[in-house]
This record gives sequence, C-alpha cells and structure tokens, in this order.
Amino acid sequence: MQSDVIAVNEHHSDNDTTDVFGFWLYIMTDCILFACLFATFIVLNLPGAPGPDLKNYLNLSDVLIETFLLLFSNFTFCLAVLNLYQDKFAKVQAWLAISFLLGASFVFIEVSEFIHLANEGFRWDLSGKASSFFTLVGTHGLHVSCGLLWILLMIMQLFLLKDTNAIKRRMTYLGLFWNFLDIVWIFVFTIVYLVGAI
Amino acid sequence: MHHHEISQPDYGTGKKKLGIYVVGLICCSILTLIAFGMVMANMFPRWAVFTVIYSAACMQFLVQLFCFLRLNTQTKQGKINVMSILFTGVILLFIVAGSLWIMWNLNYNMM
Repeated sequence: MQSDVIAVNEHHSDNDTTDVFGFWLYIMTDCILFACLFATFIVLNLPGAPGPDLKNYLNLSDVLIETFLLLFSNFTFCLAVLNLYQDKFAKVQAWLAISFLLGASFVFIEVSEFIHLANEGFRWDLSGKASSFFTLVGTHGLHVSCGLLWILLMIMQLFLLKDTNAIKRRMTYLGLFWNFLDIVWIFVFTIVYLVGAI
Repeated sequence: MHHHEISQPDYGTGKKKLGIYVVGLICCSILTLIAFGMVMANMFPRWAVFTVIYSAACMQFLVQLFCFLRLNTQTKQGKINVMSILFTGVILLFIVAGSLWIMWNLNYNMM
C-alpha cells in the first residue's frame, strides 16, 4: 500500500515536470516571435532608413525607471516563490501584490510614453522605423500586461486552491514567464532605446 | 540558512536560495547603470559605447539565466532545459543574422 502511494506520487511529479517542460518550450517559441520582431526592427532601422529618428523624442531616464521597475518586480516575484516553498502563503500574496504594482507602474510609464510620442508626432503609421518600434515594444508591453492579469489570478488562486502541488506548479509557470519578459526587456532597452539614443 | 534550502521537486529550475537572487539583483542593477551611464554621459566615442552596452546586455542576460531562471545541468531536466535553450539560440541566430544578411545584400544589389 505504502509503495503504491509513493509510485502514484512519483508519477504525478513526473507529469508535472513534463508540463513545466512544455511551458518552457512555449517560452522558447515566444523567443522566436521576439527574434522576428527584433530582426524587423533592426532591418527597418539600418542607417539611411527613411523617417525621423526616435532619439529626437526619447527620454532615457523614463526608460531607466522602467528597467528598474521590471527588474525589482522580477526580484519580488522570486521572493514570493521563496516564501511559497516555506508554505507562508500570506507572504506569497503580499510579494505577488508588490510584483503586480511594480509591473503595473512599468506598463503605465510605457503607455504614457507611447501617448507622448504620438502627440509629439512619432506615430506608428509615420514610417517603417516607427511601426517596427511600436510593434516590438508594444508586443513586449502586451506580454507584460498578460503577466499582470496572471499575477492577479494567481493571488486569487492562493485564496481558493488548497492543492499546494498545483499552486507550486502554476507559480513555476508564472515565474518562468515573468523572468522571460525581464530578459527580453534587456534586449529591448539595449537595441531599441540605448542604440537609438546614441 | 541551510534549512531554508528546498528539497522538493524543482522542475529542473534549480534550488531556491535568497542569496543568489540578491546577487542577481545587484549584478543586474550595476550592469544596467553602466549601460545607461555610458549613453547618457554623451562623452565617449561611438565604438566604446557600442562595445560596453552590448557586453553589458550579454552579461546581464547570463546573470538572469543563472541567478533568476536558475538554469543548471545538475539534473536530467535541467540538462534538457539547457539543450532546448541552446537549440533556440541557434534558430534565433538564423532568423536575426539571416534576415540582416539578406536585407543588407538586397540593399546593396538594388542600389
């Protein structure tokens, strides 16, 4: 009887590992999506491309603040995971809420930046440069917004779900996704903003 | 702090320790500040700025992989994760370098 229970548990854990690996593969395919957008952005921004330059409209200190918001949000999410593995669920929810607020500030600054750019005349329909900029940065922002919604759902699930194993698995998915977005942002701020501002 | 280390299934994502996250946070902050500082200072030659910001981005990428994603080759699952990210890297290289190569040649031949 005892060995049966252990066998079932191991089987369950194996399935979970496969599920997480599947999510990891989804993240890898998302990398390909972003690679295509980066390639488009670089091609449309090769020297001599028509249209005004982003750097005339850019405020780098906003981008720096965005970068730190996302980095700290990622860090507080890691703290939530740490508390999850010590079974302190109230703390997990608190850190998740902080991650959410930091991520929401990131999206807020990004949207205000887009509105500011459009008002100044750097609209998405202006040139290939502008289109590729809004598509690349906008796709990342959309991913972050989905991640924010997911964090909210996770906080609610922590109230409702009693199955700790399921919570840990779902937190692992969300953690991979949230961390992945921070990694993509490294390349966004380097290739789009920093190179664009030189 | 040894009793805080996790002995539960980690799905190949590595052990969860506070120390490694703090190291990751500090390294990423420093690299970000260096990259932005080089550009915002506006006093360095272009080649130097390019070299520094691209190296900082690559280093920050590696720091995130090791400290936050906790990629490792300690377990079987960890090895599979590393293999799949390497394979993705090859595909990304084809997509980005290939697109640039083709578009550059087209641009050259159409002039």
